[in-house]
Amino acid sequence: MPLDASLLVQMLLGALLGLSVYLPLRAGQLSLATPGFYAIGGYTAALLSTRFPALAGDGALYPLPSLLLELVLAALIAGALALAIGGPVLKLKGIYLAIATIALVEILRVLNLNLGFTGGATGLFAIPQPFEGPVGYLLLSLAVLALVCWLCARLERLRLGRAMEAIREDELAAACMGLDTARVKLLSFLFSALVAAVAGVISAHFLNTWNARQGSFDASITTLAFVVFGGSRTWLGPVVGGLALTALPELLRPVGDLRLVVYGLVILLGPILFPQGLITPELLRRLRWPFRQTSAEAPAP
Amino acid sequence: MNQAPLSGSPLLELQALNCRFGGLRALDRVSLAVKSGEIFGLIGPNGAGKTTLFNLISGLTAASGGRILWRGQPISGLRPDRIARLGLARTFQNLRLFASMSALENVLVGLHGRGRTPLVAGLLGTAAFRRRQRELEAQAFNLLELLELAPLAQQSAGSLSYGNQRRLEIARALATGPRLLLLDEPAAGLNPAEKSELSALIRLLRQRFDLTVLIIEHHVPLMMDLCDRLAVLNFGERIALGTPELVRRDPAVIEAYLGGAVEEAS
Repeated sequence: MPLDASLLVQMLLGALLGLSVYLPLRAGQLSLATPGFYAIGGYTAALLSTRFPALAGDGALYPLPSLLLELVLAALIAGALALAIGGPVLKLKGIYLAIATIALVEILRVLNLNLGFTGGATGLFAIPQPFEGPVGYLLLSLAVLALVCWLCARLERLRLGRAMEAIREDELAAACMGLDTARVKLLSFLFSALVAAVAGVISAHFLNTWNARQGSFDASITTLAFVVFGGSRTWLGPVVGGLALTALPELLRPVGDLRLVVYGLVILLGPILFPQGLITPELLRRLRWPFRQTSAEAPAP
Repeated sequence: MNQAPLSGSPLLELQALNCRFGGLRALDRVSLAVKSGEIFGLIGPNGAGKTTLFNLISGLTAASGGRILWRGQPISGLRPDRIARLGLARTFQNLRLFASMSALENVLVGLHGRGRTPLVAGLLGTAAFRRRQRELEAQAFNLLELLELAPLAQQSAGSLSYGNQRRLEIARALATGPRLLLLDEPAAGLNPAEKSELSALIRLLRQRFDLTVLIIEHHVPLMMDLCDRLAVLNFGERIALGTPELVRRDPAVIEAYLGGAVEEAS
């Protein structure tokens, strides 16, 4: 039975990571820093719950208050880092920003690999499990994903969301309309970091172990594929992409060794057949999807 | 809003503005002053530096020397968004609309600075937030109506005809609430009928929004008819300045446009 609760949890986490890549992309910023912030979230959760007995196992604060504490702390650390490096890094455009963010991921990976307190190459083990089985994780990730999706859906209709879209369409013209483009880009980068860190916290508990391989360049590309495959112009795209591309390798297990070939073909064919990704705003409008009636019907005079 | 400058003191003043790109002198000590309420024209052959001048004023390009004063305060070196918020809005010679967004959304981006609401109110969609949204949308819609784009409000900007895109750029610029509107070749690519409507439109907008207009345009008859004063640029130098009548008879202008004697050529 390939499609079990564990796979569903991974799919939901994949959707969250897809959204993390999508948020800066919505403002036209190709950031591949998501795995870096994901790793920060994971290490925060792993360290807190393995080093502080009060937050683990039989501690009084276990499980939900300690989980909440980890989420908040991970968000704070990732958010602070995003704000600190976002300023200079977001001055870079296009592919240069992508390269700089890959460098960030690599720096974090090498640090995690070599620092003592992160457990070096072996990583951190025996991360306590706040839930007995995968169903608990499923509910938690579902709740988090629903919250993030709701925020993204609202964002698309807000002034800030419109500003992000304008910057993606034409940054220079947006600046000439009085938009503080640097601030809007920094906010989108911050949102991306927060979502990735939260996914990391859940993932660390779920996987029970955490090491430097969790935030690698490979993951940068995989998470980007979620968005390219699903579509980058509405929040539903990366969700669909993240769910589908996380499930696919597992669902293809019966195919045996060929499965990675098939997986590669699907990723290759996606952009060829659907250059804008599977889900586009035009498609949603055609299907009368209720969450994004663009902006407004003409108001009554 | 009504801080009209003292009579005579210019709204926008350029003092000996220089701009060099490597060895190319795009602007050479250009000085001019635009008075509040006037329609000021900028003409000159291709490559004369007209758009470069616009880019300096709107903060897209840094000047190599000289000063730009807005209501007497220097604005050189400010970011484009700061300059826009001071009340200078512009259109672009090569249209720069947000192509995949609707016409209405394009104008709403222009209204960005006026739509401040607390993020939480927006996320929760409170009644106050929705009321504010409706006000902004009505405002945007009115601008589209003024520029005869209302029926196209929901169409994506990229799908509009060229003339409509030009007018949408003007609507978007007006949405920022400018005191000075910089129009970069608004008549380019328009047919003769549209061109003659454009003059009337610009006059109407000046009156309706209490605007000052600085306009670049190649179509000389239109400029002679529309502008209160004209400046002529040639190879980065201001070679003439004055009323259309004066400029039309200026020997330096005639030489720049029609070619003159070649006695200086060595």
